[in-house]
Amino acid sequence: MNPQAMLAFARGPFFNVAITFFIAGMLYRIANVIFLGWSKDLSKPRGSKGLGVVKSFLRGGLILPFFPREKKAFVNNPITYLAGGLFHLSLFIVVILGAAHMLAWKSLLGFGWWTLPLPIVDFMAAVGIIAMVMLLINRLNHPVLKRLSGAAEFFNWFLVFVPMVTGYMMTHHMFLPYENLFALHMVSINILLIWIPLSRISHFVFYFFSRTIHGVEWGKRGTMP
Amino acid sequence: MTDDSIYGHMKDEGVSRRDFLKMCGLAVGAMGMTSMPPLEASGLPATLNHVEKKSIDHVAKAMETQPRLPVIWLEFQDCTGCSEALTRANAPTLGSLVLDTLTIEHHEALSAAAGFQIEEAKQQAMEKYAGQYVLVVEGSIPTGEHAAYCAIGGRTAEVILKEAAEKAAAIIAIGNCSSFGGLPKASPNPTTAASVTDLITDKPVVNIPGCPPIPEAFVAVITHFALFGVLPELDKLNRPMAFYGKTVHDRCLRRPFYEAGKFALTFDDEGAREGWCLYKLGCKGPTTYNACASIRWDSGLSFPVQSNHPCLGCSEPDFWDGGGFYQGQSAPLQKPSMTTAGVAGAAGLAIGAGMAATAKAKKENKK
Repeated sequence: MNPQAMLAFARGPFFNVAITFFIAGMLYRIANVIFLGWSKDLSKPRGSKGLGVVKSFLRGGLILPFFPREKKAFVNNPITYLAGGLFHLSLFIVVILGAAHMLAWKSLLGFGWWTLPLPIVDFMAAVGIIAMVMLLINRLNHPVLKRLSGAAEFFNWFLVFVPMVTGYMMTHHMFLPYENLFALHMVSINILLIWIPLSRISHFVFYFFSRTIHGVEWGKRGTMP
Repeated sequence: MTDDSIYGHMKDEGVSRRDFLKMCGLAVGAMGMTSMPPLEASGLPATLNHVEKKSIDHVAKAMETQPRLPVIWLEFQDCTGCSEALTRANAPTLGSLVLDTLTIEHHEALSAAAGFQIEEAKQQAMEKYAGQYVLVVEGSIPTGEHAAYCAIGGRTAEVILKEAAEKAAAIIAIGNCSSFGGLPKASPNPTTAASVTDLITDKPVVNIPGCPPIPEAFVAVITHFALFGVLPELDKLNRPMAFYGKTVHDRCLRRPFYEAGKFALTFDDEGAREGWCLYKLGCKGPTTYNACASIRWDSGLSFPVQSNHPCLGCSEPDFWDGGGFYQGQSAPLQKPSMTTAGVAGAAGLAIGAGMAATAKAKKENKK
């Protein structure tokens, strides 16, 4: 299969199947959690649940060392926090605010939005790639983290890393012709889309669930820092 | 020097030595020559190897020794747009160069003769110049049971092409239709149209795709072959590297706006008036290999992007099926319909809820 045909396949039928699987798979995962239900809450709340949720998201969204209590967790593994934070920021900027990605969203959602100039998106993509490499090295070296990491973790890393690198390479016309890299980029994205509901990358949804639920619990018990 | 050489022919027409050398310089430029082709392979006199290493000297020497190149031009499922474009090859000197370097033996649209007479003339030319002529093909070829969609003189395009290709020295497929199938091959391809390379595998084929292609690209390739007897360097899709080596995006005059994130969002907004990048209006420049942005059209006057229209990608295979012309290039070509997405989502929800309910029931039973 030549690169042009592969690109057409990856942008066409393969993408179609991948995104359909992604939608079905994520809804399955969400339903699987939500319909478990909650146990009855008989105790009287000691604090505001809503405030707890707000605080919970602020705590998770901001870099943790600013909260004195998290200092220890940060000092123990600063790379996870710093590189991890930068990686997520980079992902958001590139995937949402990059012009090419916005056009993909636009074709799916029917509406578009303002995008950032290429040099900024490009810089953040480079930051994201460097952060990913640092996270991998850290995962391989950290005494605790390396014992927690199995094949699935490395596979997650690989499936996220390939689209990032091929995307960066295609913008810079590095090593391979543009359309070959575009084809690789799309194929890796499609595989990632299929993999997300089956893996912990689904935390892009469950993160918000757990933050909310923890916030409610903390707020209710008045134990929020 | 022989009298039937290209230069001999030009001298007969009153071209001065000075004008001849100027034309050689033009030919060097037109061919985008930065280095010489392997001369041994061309069958030119060995003395050429000892001439000064300037391209223009080689060209002048070649023109003085090489006879004019016979060309047979076939048209199948086409619109004659490629021929039209070529007759407007911008610099008049380039046009005359073509006419001086070539003898077009057969071209239906340009011939005075018609009917069986033109067919007979073609057969004679093919006999006379067997193994020497260049076959130029314009338009795609219907195949299989649909072959009859294009027949000339009671014979199908496929038969005519194969017959002419057999005795050709080289084949030039001009335009996207003969290079890659073009519009006739667009989905659902009702005539099962094929490109020249789909059907001819035992001859050197140069693709000069475009809709129409840049006339200078054709002129350069045929001049190169006429002078040196070899084809220029080609890319993976058999396109001459000198013209199809870079993308339209690479050489685009609006590239700085792409880098700066300044895009026209509609055809009449401020960005469009300011001449900003057309990427968001569906420009296919980044994946389109062609020289539009550097050579341009009509004596270098303009090209689509300069006149505020996104590149359609007409020098690439299957560009008609590459998504909407005004749809961003990064957008997927296929996506699930609302119904499919709805059904898939509902199925996911139902199975998830079912699993959750089972798990809950199990837990309660344990209690």
